[in-house]
Amino acid sequence: MKVLVVNNAAPFQRGGAEELADHLVRRLNATPGVQSELVRVPFTWEPAERLIEEMLIARGLRLPNVDRVIGLKFPAYLIPHHDKVLWLLHQFRQAYDLSEAGQSHLDFDETGRSVKAAIRAADNACFADCRRIYCNSPVTQNRLMKFNGVASEVLYPPLNDGELFTGGDYGDYVFAGGRVAAGKRQHLLIEALALLPNGPRLIIAGPPENEAYADRLRRLVEDLGLKDRVDLRFGFHPRKDIARWANNALACAYLPFDEDSVGYVTMEAFAAGKPVLTVTDSGGLLEIVSEDTGAVADPTPAALAEALDRLTSDRGRALSRGETARDLWRNKNVTWEATVRRLLD
Amino acid sequence: MRIVLLSSIVPFINGGARFIVEWLEEKLIEAGHQVERFYLPFTDDPNEILHQIAAWRLMDLTQWCDRVICFRPPAYVVDHPNKVLWFIHHIRTFYDLWDTPYRGMPDDAEHRAIRDNLRALDTRAIAESRAVFTNSQVVADRLKAFNGLDATPLYPPIYQPERFTHEGYGDEIVAISRLEPHKRQALMIEAMQYVKTPVKLRLAGTASSPEYGRQLIKMTRDLGLQDRVILEDRWISEDEKAQMLKTALAVAYLPKDEDSYGYPSLEGAHARKAIVTTTDSGGVLELVEHGRNGLISEPDPRDLAQQFDRLHADRQAVAAMGQASMDRLTEMKIDWGTVVERLTS
Repeated sequence: MKVLVVNNAAPFQRGGAEELADHLVRRLNATPGVQSELVRVPFTWEPAERLIEEMLIARGLRLPNVDRVIGLKFPAYLIPHHDKVLWLLHQFRQAYDLSEAGQSHLDFDETGRSVKAAIRAADNACFADCRRIYCNSPVTQNRLMKFNGVASEVLYPPLNDGELFTGGDYGDYVFAGGRVAAGKRQHLLIEALALLPNGPRLIIAGPPENEAYADRLRRLVEDLGLKDRVDLRFGFHPRKDIARWANNALACAYLPFDEDSVGYVTMEAFAAGKPVLTVTDSGGLLEIVSEDTGAVADPTPAALAEALDRLTSDRGRALSRGETARDLWRNKNVTWEATVRRLLD
Repeated sequence: MRIVLLSSIVPFINGGARFIVEWLEEKLIEAGHQVERFYLPFTDDPNEILHQIAAWRLMDLTQWCDRVICFRPPAYVVDHPNKVLWFIHHIRTFYDLWDTPYRGMPDDAEHRAIRDNLRALDTRAIAESRAVFTNSQVVADRLKAFNGLDATPLYPPIYQPERFTHEGYGDEIVAISRLEPHKRQALMIEAMQYVKTPVKLRLAGTASSPEYGRQLIKMTRDLGLQDRVILEDRWISEDEKAQMLKTALAVAYLPKDEDSYGYPSLEGAHARKAIVTTTDSGGVLELVEHGRNGLISEPDPRDLAQQFDRLHADRQAVAAMGQASMDRLTEMKIDWGTVVERLTS
């Protein structure tokens, strides 16, 4: 079976979605009887009326010599094909939830509102023709139902290198991986730690979104006198290093604001058998992070400090919640084998 | 410079049209450029052709890169102030093949309208570009004849030419390419029944159809040439190819009316071998000069046999022609440095 994966591309930019698409193609090619290739369509989303042309591009293209299409993003998934499966990472959010939240560039004027209506119409027509629709998380799934009235199944993107997250010793530190950004609120973690003089150490490792936030964290550590207890490792790190930090941590922490999905950082922690500390407004994580598999606190330094203490002051409790996290994740069977099987169904 | 390489593909079909793009990509990166390659699907079904080209025409890469290098049709219709073409061929059924049995569609009002539209929009889009290069003089002449546009041949080098080396001259005329009727392996076998010297012929490559492969084997047997014709109907690795060419007496490449000189000729030249071709081989004649770096035969078995004998009988002449083959590449500037320089200037 010839399986074509179609995705958008902003030329010269790469992120998680690109990694996922490449990995999906590799896994498909490793499946007996399957040949796979990725097609990336350059995408320009501004100004608003440009989106009409982008949709026309997708609708005008043809996919010869292909048995099955797996579409990942708008508008690339609009390319016509008789056997199309969608694996939605997200919709074009400016036409949906971001518009509802008053954060969309499509709500400034009449043109924008027309474009928004056109996007919804094109989406609805496409969804009606798909063989099957999967979403990467319940958040995406709920939005699709709410805005388009379309039912779908959740298909979590597995870790691309899950074999690295084997678990290990339970050390004396909490590991906070992922992008370092105001929206991921690493500053809250540092502030919470300051309230626990006998608490654990903290390692923060990841690429900073901007230098200003990195500076803010450096100053905070300095001002709170936490230099001995907080290790700031800004930058891109080899995956092996990330895995080592996660595998030997006592617990992991991840405090994004209203994330769409469970998130790779959470999946990695669960795979490694580590309990996860998060906050009540972290969104998609709350599907799996609870007081059974970690700790959930209000997004304030005091509440976080209390949760951190609850989670780490008793090693036995941390270990048992970590075990529960690992079991829960295993039982979800989020593996590439199962994922490929469902996409080819 | 940020450079986008843009070409069309039929998904899951690999071949020369992709190789040239990917080899260039490697060379541009080596030269310090940032490169992003896009392959978009395209079918040349007459009923699908115009709306697909309209979709490509809507693409606007202006904000993403400093330059676009366009290859197969209809990549050159894309919007960018700095597009450069390395034009490999037209959609030939609507051009030079229209008045031949290979047109593949009726010559009626509807299809003539598609043809005339295609030619008009090709002319307009190609004329927008900053520079137009072709892979041969034949194709440049065609652009002049059909579109009234001037273009400069920019000869495609082979990948890593240093792999091909020279170790003297044996008894074998070597012809490595796909085994298919228009490459005329049959003509070479026929010629072998008329040779007077102990010259041998080695034909190697994958048959385009099992039937043609069997036909060649049968022909060799029927003419009693098993001891003089070595026929290998299989994929030949690059290493094997270099091995076969190293000690060859000469190479033979005599396709029927091909656009370009063909990679087998270049591989022979890099291994310092004379090239045998025919008067009706098209682009090969841009490379080969009779008696200087090879021999040009009539497409007739008896004449071809004489050329084979002439090479076998005079090793000194063979060595001189082999050296001239190499010199001819320098003369025609067939090298990656030239390609990179011209496409980025």
